[in-house]
Amino acid sequence: MKGKRYGGLFSMLSAFILATGLMAGPGTPPARAAGPGPETCKNCHASQVESYAASKHGTKGDARSPANAGACSTCHGDGSAHVMAGGGKGVGGIINPASKFLPSVAKNSACLTCHQGGKRIHWAGSMHAASDLSCASCHSMHKGKDKVLAKATQAEVCYTCHKEQRTQFNKPSHHPVPEGKMTCSSCHNVHGDNPKKLVKSSTNDTCYTCHMEKRGPFVHNHQPVAEDCGICHNPHGTTVPNLLKSRAPFLCQECHSSVTHSSESAGLPAGGTISRAQLGTVGRGCLNCHTNIHGGNSTVNSATSGRFRR
Amino acid sequence: MRNKFARQFRMTALAAALASCYGMALANDEEKADLAAVAAEVSQLTTPESSISVGIGNWSGNRPQQGIYDGMREGKAYGLLDMTLVKRNNESGTLFTVEGRNLGLDTHELNAEWLRQGDIGISLDYSRIQRDNPLTFTTGLQGIGTATQVISGVYSAVPASNYELPKREVSLGTTRDLTQLGLFKNLMPNLDLKISFKNEKKDGARQWGLGSAALFLTEPIDSTTRQLEALLNYAGKRLQMSGGYYGSWYDNANTLVLGRINDGLADSAPSTNPAKPTPLSLPLGNQAHQLLLNAGYAFTSTTRGTAKLSYGKATQDETLPVAFNVLPLAGSPTNLDGRIDTTLAEVGLSSRPLPKLSLVANLRYHDVQDKTPVAAYIGGAPGTTFVYNTPHSYTKKSGKLEANYRLPQQFNLIGGIEINNQDRSVPTRSTVSGAGVNTFSVPFRAKLDETTYRLQLRRSLSDTLNGSLAYLYSDRRGPGYDSTGNTIRDSINPTHIADRQRDKWRAMLDWSPTEQLSFQFALDQAQDKYGTSAARPYGLIDGSAHIYTLDVNYTMGDNWQISGWYTRDDTKAREFGVLTTTPTTTTKDSQLREVGDSFGFGLRGRPSAKLQVGANLEWVKSVSQYPQTLTGPITAGLTPLADITNKLTRLKLFGDYAVDKNSNVRIEATHERWQTDDWTWSFSTGAPFIFGDAGTDGTVVTAKPIQSVNFIGARYIYKFH
Repeated sequence: MKGKRYGGLFSMLSAFILATGLMAGPGTPPARAAGPGPETCKNCHASQVESYAASKHGTKGDARSPANAGACSTCHGDGSAHVMAGGGKGVGGIINPASKFLPSVAKNSACLTCHQGGKRIHWAGSMHAASDLSCASCHSMHKGKDKVLAKATQAEVCYTCHKEQRTQFNKPSHHPVPEGKMTCSSCHNVHGDNPKKLVKSSTNDTCYTCHMEKRGPFVHNHQPVAEDCGICHNPHGTTVPNLLKSRAPFLCQECHSSVTHSSESAGLPAGGTISRAQLGTVGRGCLNCHTNIHGGNSTVNSATSGRFRR
Repeated sequence: MRNKFARQFRMTALAAALASCYGMALANDEEKADLAAVAAEVSQLTTPESSISVGIGNWSGNRPQQGIYDGMREGKAYGLLDMTLVKRNNESGTLFTVEGRNLGLDTHELNAEWLRQGDIGISLDYSRIQRDNPLTFTTGLQGIGTATQVISGVYSAVPASNYELPKREVSLGTTRDLTQLGLFKNLMPNLDLKISFKNEKKDGARQWGLGSAALFLTEPIDSTTRQLEALLNYAGKRLQMSGGYYGSWYDNANTLVLGRINDGLADSAPSTNPAKPTPLSLPLGNQAHQLLLNAGYAFTSTTRGTAKLSYGKATQDETLPVAFNVLPLAGSPTNLDGRIDTTLAEVGLSSRPLPKLSLVANLRYHDVQDKTPVAAYIGGAPGTTFVYNTPHSYTKKSGKLEANYRLPQQFNLIGGIEINNQDRSVPTRSTVSGAGVNTFSVPFRAKLDETTYRLQLRRSLSDTLNGSLAYLYSDRRGPGYDSTGNTIRDSINPTHIADRQRDKWRAMLDWSPTEQLSFQFALDQAQDKYGTSAARPYGLIDGSAHIYTLDVNYTMGDNWQISGWYTRDDTKAREFGVLTTTPTTTTKDSQLREVGDSFGFGLRGRPSAKLQVGANLEWVKSVSQYPQTLTGPITAGLTPLADITNKLTRLKLFGDYAVDKNSNVRIEATHERWQTDDWTWSFSTGAPFIFGDAGTDGTVVTAKPIQSVNFIGARYIYKFH
């Protein structure tokens, strides 16, 4: 039945793709910019021209690439006057998109001419744009490998500004970013305007891309869990296992602190015990019993089912 | 670096000069050979580089804490194998890339991509993330990783039977194997189709508990997650659009775990209150489908509008697991029929109406409607409380306006206001007579509003001194809590919907006194005040966070660079709670604090044209404090908590020697020392924590408080074009 519900949608999408695919053809090049080409520029900027030639920007087979639209001048503007004047920083109106002295809007205009679509549609309203960052603040166009695009090195670039996150990822409980198994962009679209620059429209929708078992809904929902994982977890890193912001029972007692056993004092027992009052801190703390804290589906007729113990 | 640049410059300049002055046709044989060699060299420099790195490394000892994710937890030798193969045809625009990382480890990754740039592409990625639990469990638990597990019982004198299960050391962990297929096709000028499909299999066992008692159990992990995204991206000069479909599916092989204590007693018969074995529910399969559209339009060169629209439907309709010894509530649904609809609509505008003034405005509507039908799933005996599922819905409406005005001396003044309004659902009360009538377990708020003001002064575009100073204030408030039927003391004090005032200061300074030397200083201060009131007398009262950071970079000539950084972070939280009210009131005031210091040092150098060396030192210390002031005695049997200190020192060294133009030899060495006095898994005596009592279970949990290990590795790296 579910398949039928979406069958029409898939059919329409498929038909559209097929129809447009039949009309397919490689894209057309952008208007050619005027100015000297790599043959001239390499006399002074050899390494930049070589890295450009080895990059996607330098691929002549792509009709859309700068290689078919003026090469160096596509991003740096018409360099004729710059060449005539014998070169020099900013001389002859040459544009350096990594310059400290250009407003970010001016720096980014060259990049956004081609890279305004997809994930960058909302760049203008993003926190990074508002902070006066430019594309070249994070990207290196003339290096063999752009550090911010590689799993193992991306975080180093982000840490240039995000010192708090650098500190948090050094804590014992963290997502495997320092190990190079995840990147900041696994969770963040730094070109977008979602809250916290996340890849999805909310914290939970972002977390569900890897932790879908927490999505529920459950018979017994733990309401803060369903609303925002960030209420209890700090995804960048903490000193408490499982990225918890604080440890049991203190974390739980931020909300559960009224006169029931939930507000009992914290402390360590002297030895093995099954006393509820002594097990709120040691081991998994409150979760020693409330083991399904993210939500449960138990139908066992026990009050504890609704308290995430089954 | 200078030598490489100089060599490259010479070669390319020479090639150009020779070719332009004489031309290939006029050259003699010797010259032709020289020109061909130069051309080949130039071709190499302008062709993407491939490399294969093969080596071996050895850790001197086990490192359960630091080796959680990197696949090198045990002290032994590991194969070090990485590769990047790139083949490009510049004329046709085809690019074939194969990249492998950590191929000698369990955490291997392999990606392959074929691309005809600007036209069509396909990619296939495989990667594994392994997470090893740093603890060691000495346990008799049987059935780890399965849906039926048996916990060790005790020796019974009457009748004489031994229900103890043999204990052995067990390590827990999970493995995620992700396979991803990507397709790209340029359909027509400015229109691309992108399809991505991800399949992730997750296996293993995770630490869990029996629930009905604090005994050791494991959660079997055997699930599959699938995600499909198909997007059409249009990027015109003025208009950009991206729209399509995103779907995700979660399947869990197990829906229930039966946890049994090995005590020789018979399983209980089906009833409404079974005791043995304990059935524990697992997450059930769920799925979500979303249609989305993003758009941006440049009205003028200085004014741009954006829009975002998405609608999603998430469902969870798998049959609820029922154990053989459970009699579900008569008439209760057999599945939850859960459904959550999410709608997002957003419009934004960014404009520069004056050369010195830019504005950003944004309106956002985010609606999460939990449409799961409400039904009773537990209870039913006369006079007892029914337990209903409690779907929760909320609508968040927000608006933001920010203005940035450029002042003289390269200063910018930024001011902004953001308003967030929430409408939140309040569950229907139980109407069953008896103990459950007309009560909530949790206080709810139907509305919650927050206004945030931001003011910032920023200086940029300067060669030597840039920086910013920002202040942010937000105030979150709502009407009274709906907790009819409960005295507030019996209720919960939810923090995330509590009134809150937040102050934040942020300062950043970049100073480059010379071209070689730069400093970066950052300060973050935040203060949250929740306070207490008659409506919310307990819970989190206030908190603060302070972070100070200094980074220094110094470049010595063309070949040496050093960097260093220091960070101090200090966070505090104060909580207030009540333990007893009879015969006297006993309250608890906890003032938690965590102070962290971290220091880093880096060195990169090139002592000769063929040799590169480097060093990284990382030192991290954190101290967590848990003082609590009680107006009465601490719970019997408990000892107050000591501070926890974690320390990590890691020194990494490397040397990279270019044997010839195509091959390098790289030596890596690491010293790593981790030390903690974390008491999480220990008793007040310092002895390892043991699950259970008087012999039942008896699982011993041990952590390794000091891990001091060394790594030495060698690689041979071959590079080619």
